[in-house]
Amino acid sequence: MSAVPAAASPKTRATVPVGIVLLVLLPLILMPLAAVFVFAFRGGAADFLRVLASREAQFALRFSLLIAFATASVNAVLGTYTAYVLSRYRFRGERPLGILVNLPVAIPTVVVGTSLLLLWGPIGLLGRFLAPLGIQPMFAPAGVLLAHLFVTFPYMLGAVKPVLDEIEGTYEEAAYTIGANRWQAFRWVILPALKGGLFTGALLTFAHSLGEFGATVLVSGNLRLRTQTAPLYIFAQFEAGNVAAANAIAAVLATLSFLIFFFLLRYTGRKGR
Amino acid sequence: MEPMHSRRRGLYPAIFLAALLGYAAWPWLPFSRAQATPPTIVFYGFSILADVCQEAVFPAFQKRWEAEGGGRVEFASSFGGSGTVTNQVIMGVPAQVALLSLESDADRLADAGVIPHDSWKKLPNAGVVNLTPFVILVRPGNPLGIRDFEDLTRPGVRIVHPDPMTSGGANWAIVAEYGSGARGTPGGEAAGEAVLAGVWKNVVAQAASARAARTQFENGFGDALITYEQEAIYDRGRGRLAADISYPQRTILSEHTLVVIDRNIRPRERALVDRFVRFLWSEEAQGLFVKYGFRSGRPELDAENTSFGTIAQPFRIADFGGWRRARRDIVDGIWKDRVMKGIAAP
Repeated sequence: MSAVPAAASPKTRATVPVGIVLLVLLPLILMPLAAVFVFAFRGGAADFLRVLASREAQFALRFSLLIAFATASVNAVLGTYTAYVLSRYRFRGERPLGILVNLPVAIPTVVVGTSLLLLWGPIGLLGRFLAPLGIQPMFAPAGVLLAHLFVTFPYMLGAVKPVLDEIEGTYEEAAYTIGANRWQAFRWVILPALKGGLFTGALLTFAHSLGEFGATVLVSGNLRLRTQTAPLYIFAQFEAGNVAAANAIAAVLATLSFLIFFFLLRYTGRKGR
Repeated sequence: MEPMHSRRRGLYPAIFLAALLGYAAWPWLPFSRAQATPPTIVFYGFSILADVCQEAVFPAFQKRWEAEGGGRVEFASSFGGSGTVTNQVIMGVPAQVALLSLESDADRLADAGVIPHDSWKKLPNAGVVNLTPFVILVRPGNPLGIRDFEDLTRPGVRIVHPDPMTSGGANWAIVAEYGSGARGTPGGEAAGEAVLAGVWKNVVAQAASARAARTQFENGFGDALITYEQEAIYDRGRGRLAADISYPQRTILSEHTLVVIDRNIRPRERALVDRFVRFLWSEEAQGLFVKYGFRSGRPELDAENTSFGTIAQPFRIADFGGWRRARRDIVDGIWKDRVMKGIAAP
């Protein structure tokens, strides 16, 4: 039981600064979010459910969730392995590699979409050789997954690598001295300590994948009942003037994000490390 | 004590995530799959087709195909600006049939080698499925008194216009604006350019598609919107039109071109796709288009919809020598090279 956090200075009057923060946040963040829910339920709960139950909305939600699960799973493995390599091995080009793997956060998602198309698309660098074989990753679920893996790659890394860097090398060395190989040391020494980081990284990846739009809109082909994700559904419905349909799904996505971030705060944030 | 606590701590998120995964994967689980997926037609269409296709034409064809003994058929569809759809098809989306707003986009597909040149001209009516004139939507009661394209050139009128880069409707609108001036006075090329320049000086918002532009207008942007008559009368029929329609004296009748993309059709899907393509020109499908506010070009069918307005002097793209010439001379030659450059320069 660690007692009072160090930052908690003697009670100062917080009313004014807190008021200012709320005043700024209200039109910036809180009211737009509220508007989504207000519009989603404008036609009443029955209307909300009817829109939600439509085949296209259901497909879009399910497709988005499956892509998010797949993205989180693949990047959990890839990201953790990359973090492990970057943290445990010393090699030439280590720093450039460290920068490279974090690059996706800095690249506009639209650029990710176009670059994937120009690589894997039917007229792309690799795609033109695959197309005659009948392999077409773009405008298919595989293309959406590729885009999401790219865009969310740094999240896992960012959550896991700091933890890895802080784990004392001595525990690992102790494992080696009693005859453990690298895998065993990883499995029984490092992995248990990584649990929190893995969970945080996977949830962040999941949440980001669920909401990804910029890259997806280019690589998915936006086909209803085939490759239309929930954000694409929202955009299409909103553009078509079906504000109620758009907002019903938007409300569901927003609620999911709230839950995910609630879990993040509740189950990892308090753990401290 | 500690491990038990941490195990319990992860329980709720684990249950939540497992429930989410179960919900998401449900239709694909082996025991929940009721029947094999039926054959599917992949249809891409320009923006304003979404409602008529999904609510009327697709279900009607599904009934027809089943009645003719073909069994179940599904549609996978996507709707967007005609230019967007064209780019997507060039980039390789699996579209089998695409209904484009203008023949110019079909030309682009042919130029990119996606379909043979002029292949759509072998279809009924040279590939044109339906038509609709271009009109001006104004705020209720027409407070600014906008009756024609010339009125849109007045200073201070704020116009919402779709974006010619991605929207077919925007290209039709450009020809409509130009033609309205040019065909009004003898030898009126300069008059056409003047209308174009005046209109585009007043454009305050550009949307990716005609449908998106209408959504912007509905959300309160602008004083006027130049769009397909179909959009306006379809909305009015549903009681959703918060605007008045101004019918210009002279405007264009847009003609919407169907293309069939053979490379995306497998041999066993051929008969199905061909039947659907023929169905689009059947009396049944044309009647549905008319019901949703498109004109069929057949007087006896068009008489069914009493909300069509009259245009004193309608014109067609053929009056400008077809889309290839109109694109070169009007859209690129006048609008892009002269009007837009004139507006960009201070």
